[in-house]
Amino acid sequence: MIDVDGVTCRYGGRGGGDADGDGNADGDADGDRVTAVDDVTLSIPDGEFLIVAGANGSGKTTLVRTFNGLVEPDAGAVSVNGTPVSDDLVAARTAIGMVFQDPRDQLVAATVGADVAFGPENLGRSHAEIDRRVADALAAVNMTGREDDRIASLSGGERERVAIAGALAMEPDHLVLDEPFTGLDEPARRSVLDRLCELRAAGTGVIVVTHDLRDVFDLADRVVGLSAGRVAVDEAPREAAAKLPGLDVRVPEGAFDDQPADATDAPSDP
Amino acid sequence: MTLSYVPDDSIAHRLDPRSKLLVQVGFAAAAYAYTTPRGLAVLTLLAVVCLRLAGGGPRDLWTYRFAFPVLLVAPLVAGATLGAPWFRIDRAATTGLASYRVLLILVVAAGYVRSTPVRDSRAAIQHTLPGKPGQFLGTGVALVFRFLPLLKRDLLTAREAVRARGGGALPVRERMRLVAVAGINRAFGRADRLGTALNARCFAWNPTLPRLALGSADYPALAIGGGLVAAAVASVV
Repeated sequence: MIDVDGVTCRYGGRGGGDADGDGNADGDADGDRVTAVDDVTLSIPDGEFLIVAGANGSGKTTLVRTFNGLVEPDAGAVSVNGTPVSDDLVAARTAIGMVFQDPRDQLVAATVGADVAFGPENLGRSHAEIDRRVADALAAVNMTGREDDRIASLSGGERERVAIAGALAMEPDHLVLDEPFTGLDEPARRSVLDRLCELRAAGTGVIVVTHDLRDVFDLADRVVGLSAGRVAVDEAPREAAAKLPGLDVRVPEGAFDDQPADATDAPSDP
Repeated sequence: MTLSYVPDDSIAHRLDPRSKLLVQVGFAAAAYAYTTPRGLAVLTLLAVVCLRLAGGGPRDLWTYRFAFPVLLVAPLVAGATLGAPWFRIDRAATTGLASYRVLLILVVAAGYVRSTPVRDSRAAIQHTLPGKPGQFLGTGVALVFRFLPLLKRDLLTAREAVRARGGGALPVRERMRLVAVAGINRAFGRADRLGTALNARCFAWNPTLPRLALGSADYPALAIGGGLVAAAVASVV
């Protein structure tokens, strides 16, 4: 369980921060300070498939990075399984696996096996336990037997899957994926999507950060939409669908099929 | 191409990293102790054997192409004089041999890097040097070996971006300035992102390190390494 209580994140200095890495300052400028996340309160139960949606610079990456202490809030608190993140960073980072937007930022070893083992090694697990976790994580992303493959020789989709395996090897309660489908071709996108479905079925909570909900809309239990760092939408997908285009995010065609007539007057996809 | 670990089943890949480190240290010591053409000829043969045993070849040395101009220019600079005779061959030859032994050490290092995963290097260092100093050195090696390939790729990307927009026609000095500025900016960004990635995966001072065990193939390597060290010491004493 992740509990986010009144979290606010600001970046100091001129120009503000860019935790999204998209070249834009996140959130709203406040003098020289930029507010990326503004008084957000959320509760994310174990096993939930959650979409954190929002346009570039809406603060979604900054928000999820507070879940495992990669970003420290200026105000408010985040707890994971009842323990404040700031009290036990290792526990938070073990419970919340994170896959970054660009897997190249995340892969730190020369071979697949060494990279997937990196997390469990840092946790000080035994060799037998590390071997088991590597085997399980690679099986979960359909890459069994590829421990000795060079990372440099992998395709974009395979790197994404190795990044997911690296996070899964920590055996997290929640897996956070930041724009997981960016730059993937159709087979790679389908492969990653299949893996997410299997993870969800296995009980792992999945949190997908995206501005394009078309791939994951039907899988999600809930959509949290951010606008200028604030929660603008927090509902089940079908209920949230009508409000999402107003956040400059892309929703799938047919998302409004269950909506009342007046709710479908929302702006079309950008 | 970036010099990095390449999975393989070569003899060097099967050696314990501590044996390979001893050979490297011994080789470097011998290269500085025996600077005669005959000594360097023997060391040349040994360096080539080391690289071949790691499954490497001339392609692996391409990584060092940026060092070659410095190694080549050094003898010319050393030999040049401000007055007659304008160039002293003896000085140039001495420096040339020094440059050459640096090249030989790079060849042996290429064999080591090609055949040794980063975490094995870290384990070897921490096993050899116990306690905090070993952890500090091992962590440093792990970070450098992870950061440098990324940084090099960023620099290449910056150079391609300059070329893609017609920058290839700019003077060399201007191209160097553009790549350097972009490279420095990217290096800081890359360092931030690598730091975040390592934090997210609980990068630790004391991780579970790979098991290291000396096998039968290590004893000849240890003997060679030890022999090189002894020969270097003997030449000094």
